Amino acid sequence: MTGWAIEIAQAALVLALAPGLVGVVRWLKARLQSRRGAPPWQPYYELRKLFGKDVIVSSNASWLFRLAPYVVFASTAAAACLVPSLAVTRPLDAVGDLLVLVYLLLLGTVFLSLAGLDPGSAFGGMGSSREMTVAALAEPTVALAIFALALSAGSTNLGQIVGRTLADPAAALSPGHLLAFAALFVVMLAETGRLPVDNPATHLELTMIHEAMVLEYSGRYLALIEWAAALKLLVFFALLGNLFVPWGVAAVAAPAPLALALGSLLVKLAVIAVVVAVLETRVAKLRLFRVPELLSVSFVLALLAVTSSFLGR
Amino acid sequence: MTLETTACLSAYMVLAYLGGAFAALLPLRSGLTRALTAGGAIAGAGAGIALAARVLIAGEPFALTVPALLTVGGGVALRLDGLGAFFLLLIGVVAAPAALYGVGYSAAYAGRYSLRWLGAMLNLFLLTMSLVVLADNVLTFLLTWEAMSLASYFLVMTEHERDDTVAAGGWYLAMTHVGLALILVAFVLLSPAGGGGGFADLRAAAATLSPALRGVVFVLAVLGFGSKAGLVPLHVWLPRAHPAAPSHVSALMSGAMVKLGVYGILRVALDLLGVGPAWWGALLIGLGAASALVGVLYALTEDDLKRLLAYSSVENVGLVFIGVGAGLLFASLGEPAAATLALAAALYHALNHGVFKALLFLGAGAVAHATGSRDMNRLGGLIGRLPWTAACFLVGALAIGGLPPFNGFVSEWLLFQSLLPAIGSGAPLVAPVMTLAVGALALTAGLAAAAFVKAFGITFLALPRSDEARAAHEAPVTMRVAMVVLAALCALLGLGAAFVLPVLGGLLAGHAGLPRVAPALTAGPLLLPPGGGASMSPSLLAIGLLLALAGAWLAVRVGAARGLRVGDTWGCGRIGQTARMEYTSTAYAEPLRRVFAELYRPTEDLTIDVHPESRYFVQSRTYRSEIVPWFERYVYAPLVRWVAAGAAHTRAIQSGSAHAYLAYLVVALLALLAISLAWSASL
Amino acid sequence: MDSLFAQLVVLESSLALIFGLVLLWRRGVPAYVNAFTWQSLVLAAVAATVGWFGRERELYLVAALLIAVKGIAIPRLLRRMERRFGTERELAPYVNTATSLVVAGLLVLFGGAVMRPVVAASELPTRAGMPLAMGLVLVSLFVVVSRKKALTQVIGFLMLENGIALLALLGAYGIPLIVELGVFLDALMGFLVMQIFVYRIHETFDTLDVDQLDRLRH
Repeated sequence: MTGWAIEIAQAALVLALAPGLVGVVRWLKARLQSRRGAPPWQPYYELRKLFGKDVIVSSNASWLFRLAPYVVFASTAAAACLVPSLAVTRPLDAVGDLLVLVYLLLLGTVFLSLAGLDPGSAFGGMGSSREMTVAALAEPTVALAIFALALSAGSTNLGQIVGRTLADPAAALSPGHLLAFAALFVVMLAETGRLPVDNPATHLELTMIHEAMVLEYSGRYLALIEWAAALKLLVFFALLGNLFVPWGVAAVAAPAPLALALGSLLVKLAVIAVVVAVLETRVAKLRLFRVPELLSVSFVLALLAVTSSFLGR
Repeated sequence: MTLETTACLSAYMVLAYLGGAFAALLPLRSGLTRALTAGGAIAGAGAGIALAARVLIAGEPFALTVPALLTVGGGVALRLDGLGAFFLLLIGVVAAPAALYGVGYSAAYAGRYSLRWLGAMLNLFLLTMSLVVLADNVLTFLLTWEAMSLASYFLVMTEHERDDTVAAGGWYLAMTHVGLALILVAFVLLSPAGGGGGFADLRAAAATLSPALRGVVFVLAVLGFGSKAGLVPLHVWLPRAHPAAPSHVSALMSGAMVKLGVYGILRVALDLLGVGPAWWGALLIGLGAASALVGVLYALTEDDLKRLLAYSSVENVGLVFIGVGAGLLFASLGEPAAATLALAAALYHALNHGVFKALLFLGAGAVAHATGSRDMNRLGGLIGRLPWTAACFLVGALAIGGLPPFNGFVSEWLLFQSLLPAIGSGAPLVAPVMTLAVGALALTAGLAAAAFVKAFGITFLALPRSDEARAAHEAPVTMRVAMVVLAALCALLGLGAAFVLPVLGGLLAGHAGLPRVAPALTAGPLLLPPGGGASMSPSLLAIGLLLALAGAWLAVRVGAARGLRVGDTWGCGRIGQTARMEYTSTAYAEPLRRVFAELYRPTEDLTIDVHPESRYFVQSRTYRSEIVPWFERYVYAPLVRWVAAGAAHTRAIQSGSAHAYLAYLVVALLALLAISLAWSASL
Repeated sequence: MDSLFAQLVVLESSLALIFGLVLLWRRGVPAYVNAFTWQSLVLAAVAATVGWFGRERELYLVAALLIAVKGIAIPRLLRRMERRFGTERELAPYVNTATSLVVAGLLVLFGGAVMRPVVAASELPTRAGMPLAMGLVLVSLFVVVSRKKALTQVIGFLMLENGIALLALLGAYGIPLIVELGVFLDALMGFLVMQIFVYRIHETFDTLDVDQLDRLRH
C-alpha cells in the first residue's frame, strides 16, 4: 500500500513541479541575459489563463486534432510515473522499463505530429516533418545509451539501474556512464526542443519545430500541450539526474529518506536547469540540416559508451 | 478421438478451399461468385485456425501420409507440429478478413477482369499456402511451394491490362523461380543418398553431413527462402508485385506469404539442420538489419501508398530476421533461454506484422477504391469522408510504428530485450554485432514511425488535394468489417501478450539447441524476458494510459472553460487556406531525404517557364526528383544484361534447320550410349 | 522349345530390321509405306510369338492393336497423304544411298555393341533379338535425320516407335498394358500432329522439303 501511496505522491509532485521547472529555466536565461524576466512561477499563471479561454478549432481539422492533446498529456504523464523520482522500488517499476518510457514519449510525439498536419497549414506540416526527423534520428542514440546502461546494470529496468549505481558508487564515474550521460544530454536537448536544436522562445516560422506543430492550438488544448512539454522536460531532467547521480533516491519507503529524496531531486533539477540555461544563452540555434550532425555526434558518444561498457567488464 | 478430430479438421480445410475454388469457377452472377469465393476461403481459414489452435494447445503434432498419391519421392506426407501450426494460424487469421474484404473490393472488377478466375486462384493460393506448412517431405513441400507461387502469380496479374502489372508479374515470376531453384538444390544436398525424402530422414542425415556442406545448405536456404521473404538483396520483386495485386491479395502476400519464407528458414535451420556455428546467426542478423534499413529508407520517400507499404514489409521482415538470427546465434553459443526469447520475439513480430500489414493494405485498398488513386500527393482530407477506414488505418499505423500499447510495440520491445543477453557471452564478435543490431533496430523504429505518420497524415488529414479525393466515399460494409476485425486483433495481440508469449515459447521447445521445457516468459500480466530484471506489461500500460486519458479529460471538463468555436486555420495570420498550401508527401520526407542523401543520391530537375514578355512572370514550374534505386541499377540491371548477352551468343545454335536439330538429338543419343558402354565396360 | 522360340524371334526381328533398311534403299513413299506395313505385321507376329511361348495373354491384344492401328489405319492415312502431296520424288537426301546403307550397317553394329551387356545380363530366350531391335531404332533415327521430305521423316518416326516396341517385347516380354496403351496413344497423337504439320508446311512453302523451314527464321 505504501508503494502505491508513493507512486501517487510522485505523480502529483511531478505534475505540479513541471511548469515551475520551465519557469525556472526561463528566469535563469533572462537573468543571464541581463533582463529581469518573469518570475519562475509565470507558467502557472499562463496555464490558468489558457484553461480559462475558449478554444478555436480550424474548420479543416478533424477529431484527431481534438483528441491529440489528451493523448500527448496522458502518454507523457504515464512516462513521468515510470521515472524513479523519489523511490527506487515501486510497484510500477515492473510495468515499464526505460524502453517503455522512451516509446511512451514517442507516442506523444507521433500524435502531436499528426495534429500538426491536421489543420492543413504549411507551418504544421513543416513542424511535423521536422519533429519526426529529429525524433527518428535521436532514436538510435537513445537505444544505445539505454543499452550501455543496461549492460552495466544487467537489465533495462529503471529500479535496477538506479540500484546498481547506488550499490557500486565507482561505477558512476566509469567511462560508459559518462559517455552515456553526454549522449543522453544531447538527446534531451533535441527531444525537448531546447537550443541548439529548437528555440522554445521563437515565433519565426523558419526556426520552429515544436512551436510550429502547436501553432493552431488554443485554450485548454494548448494548456495541456504546454503542460505535457514541461512534463517531458522534467522527465528528462529527472532521468539524467537520478539514473546517473542516484544518491538521495530513497531505498526504503520511510518518511526521512523520502524527504531527503525530494530535496536531492530538487537540487539535481536546479543544477541541470542552470546548465541548460547557460548553454542556451551561449549557443545559437543550429540550422535544421546541421541538427543531424549533432545527433550523429551523440550517436557516436553512445556507441563509445556501449563499447567501453563491454570492455570494462 | 484427438487424431480423428484433427484429421477431420484438415479434411474440412482442404475441402472448403477446393469447394471455394470450384464454386468460383461456376458461371454465376458476379455477386454470387464473390460471395462463394469468400465463403470457401473463410470456411477454410476457420478450419485452418481451429486445426492450428488444436495442435498448439494440445501440444501433440498431427501426421498424415498418403503414399499412393505420387509414389515417386515417398508420396504426399503431411505433418503439423507446433512451428507449422503457428504459421497455419497466421495464414488463417490474415486470410479470413482479407477474403471478406474481397467481396466488396472485387465488385469493381466485374465485367473487366475475370472474377471467377480471381476467386478460384484465391482459394487455391490459400490452400497451397496451408499445405506448405503441413508438408513433411521434400516432394510435397516443393510441389505446394511452386503451386503457391503460381497461384499468387495469377493473382498478381489480375489487372493485366495495366503495363506495370505485367512487368511486376514478370519480375515476380523470375525471382520466385530463382528462389525455388536454390531451395531445390539445398534440399537435394540435404537428402541422404538413396534414402527417402521425408523430413525425418533429412533430420537424421543432417547430423552426418560435413560442416562445410551444412554451411552451404544453410546459405542456399537463406537465399532461396529469403527471396520469398523479401530479404535484401532479393527483395526487388516486392515493391513491384505487392502494389500491382488487388488489395486483399497484397494483404495476403505481405501478411502471410512472405512469412512462409521465414517458416522455410526456421524449418531448415532450426529443425532439419540443428545447431550450427555462430556465423549463421550473424549472417541472418546482418541481412536482417540491412533489409530493415533499406526497406524503411525507401518507404520514407515513396509517394505511392501501396509501394510504401510494400517497402515497409521488407523492413519488418528484416526485423523478424534479426530476431531469428539472434536466436540462432544464442543457440550456437549455448544460451538456450536467450535463444528461446529471441525466436519467440521474432515469431511474435511475424504474427503482428501479418495482422497490421494486412490491415494497412486493406485500408489502402479502400482508399484506392474510393478515390481511384494511390498517389498520396493527390489524396488528403479522407478522415471525414472515410471515417471507419481512417480509424482502422490509424490503428494499423500506430501498431506498425511500434507505439504502445499495440502489438507492434510489444514485439519490438521483446526484440530489443532479446538482444541484450549479449552481455553475458564472451564470444569475440558478438558484442559489435549486437550493438549494431540494436542501433539498426532503433533507427528503423524511429524512421518507421516517421514514415507512417506521413502515410496516415498526408492521406487522411487536412484538405483533399484533388477532385477524386474530394469525391471519395466510404467503403462498403464487408470491407469495413474486415478492417475492424483486424484492428481489434492488433489491440488484442498487444494487450494479450501475456497469453501469446508462453504459447510461442512452448512451440519452440525441443528444437535444436533450445531447452526441452520452455523458460517461463511471463508472470501474470507481466512479460519477463529471462536473464534480466526487466519486465513490462502491455495490458497494465494500456489501463494506465486510459486512466490518464480519462483523468485528464475529466479534470479539463470540470476545471476548464468549455467554449469551442470553429474558425479558419490561423497560419500566423495568413488569409485563406487552400489545398495547395499543405505539405505534400514529397515535402514531408524532404528533411530525411537530405540527411540520407548519400544513400538516395536524389537527382533534382527544376524547370521554370516564364512569360515571353518578362522574366518576372512565371507561368509554370516543373519539379522532378528521382532517387537512385540502388539494387535495380547496380545489381539487377547488369545481371540481366549479362544473361541477355549470353543468350544472344547461344542463339547461334538456332540455325532454323530442322535437320540440324534432329542431328543434335541423334548425336547426343549416340554419345550417351557410347559413354554408358565405356562406363559399363570399365566397371 | 526354347530354341525354337529363340530362332523364331530372331528371324522375325531380322525381318523387321530389313524392312527398316528398305527406307534407305528404295525411293518413293509408296514403297516406304509398304515396308512400314509389313514391318508392323512382323512386329505383331513377334508379339503373338512371345505371347504364345511366354504365356502372356495380354500380348495377343497388343498384336491385334498393332495390326489394326499400325498395319491398317496408319498406312491408309499415309497413302492418303501421299496421294495428296506426293507429286515429288524423293529429293536428293543429305547422304546418298550407298553411304546411307554403310552408315546403317555401322549403326547396327554399334547397337549390337551397346546391347551386349544387356544381353549378357538377361536370361530370357528372346535376348538374342535385342541387338537387332536396337539397330532398328538407330537406323530409324538416321532416316529421320538424313531425309529431306517430311513424309519420309514421319515414316521414319513410326518405324522408331516400332523399334522401341520391339525392344520392349524382347527385353521384358512387353511392358505393362497401361503403359503400352499410353505409348500407342502417344504415337497416334504424334502422328496426327505431324499430319497437320505436313499439311501446313505444304501450304506455306508448296513443298515438303523440311530444309526450307529455315526460311522462317528470317
